[in-house]
Amino acid sequence: MVFLKKFLGSTIGGPIIALILVGVFIALITPRFMHPQNLSNVTLQVSLVAIVAIGATLVILTGGIDLSPGATVALVCCTLAHLVRKMGVPLPVGIILMLLMGVGLGFINGFFSSYGKIPSFIVTLATMNIYRGLAFALTGGITIFSVSPQLEPIFYGRFLGIPLPFYYVVILYGSAALFLRYTIPGRSIYAIGGNESAARLSGINVNRTRLLAFVIAGLTAAIAGILETAWLDSGSAAYGSELALGSIAAAVIGGASLVGGYANILSSLVGALTVAIVQNGLNLHAVQLAWQDVTLGLVIILAVGVDMWKRNFGEAIGRLFKTNRGHSGD
Amino acid sequence: MDVEKSALWIAQGFHKSFPGVQALDDVSLEIFPGEVHALVGENGSGKSTLVKCIAGVYPRDQGDLLHKGIPAVFHNPTEARLHGIATIYQEFSLVPTLSVAENIFLGNYRKKKFTGTIDWPVIREDTRKVLETLSLTLDPDAIVNTLSAAEQQLVEIAKAISIDSSLLIMDEPTAALGLTETKHLMDLIRRLTAKGKAILYISHRLDEVFEIADRVTVLKDGRRVATAPISELKVGDVVRMMIGFDIVQHYPKERNVQERPCLEVEHLSTDHGVHDVSFTVNVGEVFGLGGMLGSGRTEIIRAIYGLDRITSGQIRMDGKEVNFRSPVAAISAGIGLIPENRKTDGSFFNFEGPKNITIARLKALLQGPWLSLSKERKIGATYIKKMNISQGAMERSVQNLSGGNQQKVIIARWLFSQARLLIMDEPTQGIDIGAKHEIYKVINELTANGISVLLISSDFPELLAMSDRVAVVRDGHILQITDGDRMSEYELIIHASGVSPEPEAVS
Repeated sequence: MVFLKKFLGSTIGGPIIALILVGVFIALITPRFMHPQNLSNVTLQVSLVAIVAIGATLVILTGGIDLSPGATVALVCCTLAHLVRKMGVPLPVGIILMLLMGVGLGFINGFFSSYGKIPSFIVTLATMNIYRGLAFALTGGITIFSVSPQLEPIFYGRFLGIPLPFYYVVILYGSAALFLRYTIPGRSIYAIGGNESAARLSGINVNRTRLLAFVIAGLTAAIAGILETAWLDSGSAAYGSELALGSIAAAVIGGASLVGGYANILSSLVGALTVAIVQNGLNLHAVQLAWQDVTLGLVIILAVGVDMWKRNFGEAIGRLFKTNRGHSGD
Repeated sequence: MDVEKSALWIAQGFHKSFPGVQALDDVSLEIFPGEVHALVGENGSGKSTLVKCIAGVYPRDQGDLLHKGIPAVFHNPTEARLHGIATIYQEFSLVPTLSVAENIFLGNYRKKKFTGTIDWPVIREDTRKVLETLSLTLDPDAIVNTLSAAEQQLVEIAKAISIDSSLLIMDEPTAALGLTETKHLMDLIRRLTAKGKAILYISHRLDEVFEIADRVTVLKDGRRVATAPISELKVGDVVRMMIGFDIVQHYPKERNVQERPCLEVEHLSTDHGVHDVSFTVNVGEVFGLGGMLGSGRTEIIRAIYGLDRITSGQIRMDGKEVNFRSPVAAISAGIGLIPENRKTDGSFFNFEGPKNITIARLKALLQGPWLSLSKERKIGATYIKKMNISQGAMERSVQNLSGGNQQKVIIARWLFSQARLLIMDEPTQGIDIGAKHEIYKVINELTANGISVLLISSDFPELLAMSDRVAVVRDGHILQITDGDRMSEYELIIHASGVSPEPEAVS
């Protein structure tokens, strides 16, 4: 009982219960859901959203938002396919270049959002279009197929019978959790999201910390882009379009607060699983892609709404007990 | 002055409380047509709360407002305006991106009869007329954010007088004005009262009050001390009423000053209202900055802490010249800041106590590349015990702590960061008496350990008692520096409020 109470009160308890409820619901109305082949598909699908959700969570923790990861994925897919297939660049070199490009694209987002003092929503709304526009310009809108025979094993390979993407997710989430919990930059990310002014007055370099969160987000998006290229052995400017919303949904379902300062990275993984199961269920019911977007949009409004309404309710209570400072103080 | 017999507006037995504070306690006020009624009192005495209750900003707990003897009920400032109460607040209420004319008639636009569209020519003409009454030569089409602070304040005043009102409330109207503009405003007030309008005038500046007011009401701790014609009073009387006969509070002051400078400030100026300020804080000294709101006290510490760029002058820390471009640099040189507003600038509500305490010196927690959370908990527990902070701070967000406990958590942050100079901006504001005394004891402990304190407090008795020396700040200048126990609250108010000193009468 004590364990149960502690579990329910913890930040990860709610998301896990939501995941179980959604999972049971989908399983009940969808006969093919529990088929081993399908479950294996889900685990592969979830890896992309989950990895992008790491970056999304970090940015949301600082109080910002990143709309560009889907476009980053598309640009990485296209550039990697172009480099390897059209220019004959060796695959390992291409992959390293893509990781660097992810860092660069994240740096652009972060630089304008911090030192440039432009709201991250606007910056990433713009770069979302710029990055995807570049991807279209590079490929002329044509999908590049058969990128490299070496690519497939990166996504479909197995180690000890378990698909490789599982290991990627475990390693990346493990690193992210260690980073957030046990490093100064990780703690600083929480601090600037919790109270930016207090963080500045406590000697935290706010701009640098915010920049770092976006750089990591660019890096995780690039990793997802490489995996997507391997998954489909192709590069297209249309890839990754669902990842921006999906990763934000994952973080928010995982309990990340959009005002910043509150998030548990492992809960974002649970949120990503929930998003993937919903998408899989819709796929199995042969729901058109357009309606899947509609559903995901509604899920985000619901998840964010619950967070905000809860907060507003709390603030309304808080206002009742707040002392007036209008009559004193500078 | 010819005061008519019947009062125009009467506030009767106003009560207003905020959690933990009785802001107004049975305050009554009569305002006659054609009079300038000044409202004076120390910071936090309830002046602003009173006018906000009159102007419909705050609902009052008890009390009636009578207009010509008839109860007037309104629930918001708009209704108050319709009843003829116009208010000029301390904070600007202008829309910075709109023009002067648009702002003055905002929400009150004259429309053309047939088209129903806004009649701009008429509005411009009316604006010109309003500005003329203020002897202002502003372009009605000028965008407000291109105007100076003084001009914006005048537009604010123009906006208030554009409505036909019987009572004009002015809350610190001259705070942003220069000498000429203040003079224009005084002329305007005289013209308005000649027309029978009443003015409720709030100001820290007693010189202005004595120049313009007909009667004065003194507030102290939310109560009315007295109302009297200004001609029957001397400045000294008013100040003594503002101070009141406090129960002599005991301040556990200990002197720990060493004859060694910690912080030396020479001819410091900034673009944010600090002019040629010089002072020295010795090791173990509590150095007080005394002044009214907007006097430049906060701007002085902002410059020292690396928040505002210094335009000229020097700062030396331990004899070495420093120029902090950011708080990061100030902190690593051994300075800590306890900000005035804990909630917006001090506490991390997403952290429990220990994380709040270690945030300014996380490097000390490193074991290799990793933060040691067990070390952090140990440090947190030590400070929470040492500072007598509520045990709940170990596990729960500091949001759940009382104001006093939250403040002690922030002080613990700077103790852990090994600050040698602590800047305290209103450290006891909004916390209860018991917690205040604990903060005083902490200040003693700090100074006994060779830490210097730069103290700002609007609680003048506290400032004088706890400071070894006090500098009087006005208009961004330091007027004089005196030993704390050699200056009386009376003198501090006299100097800080800009009236010429007169000998303190024996009372």
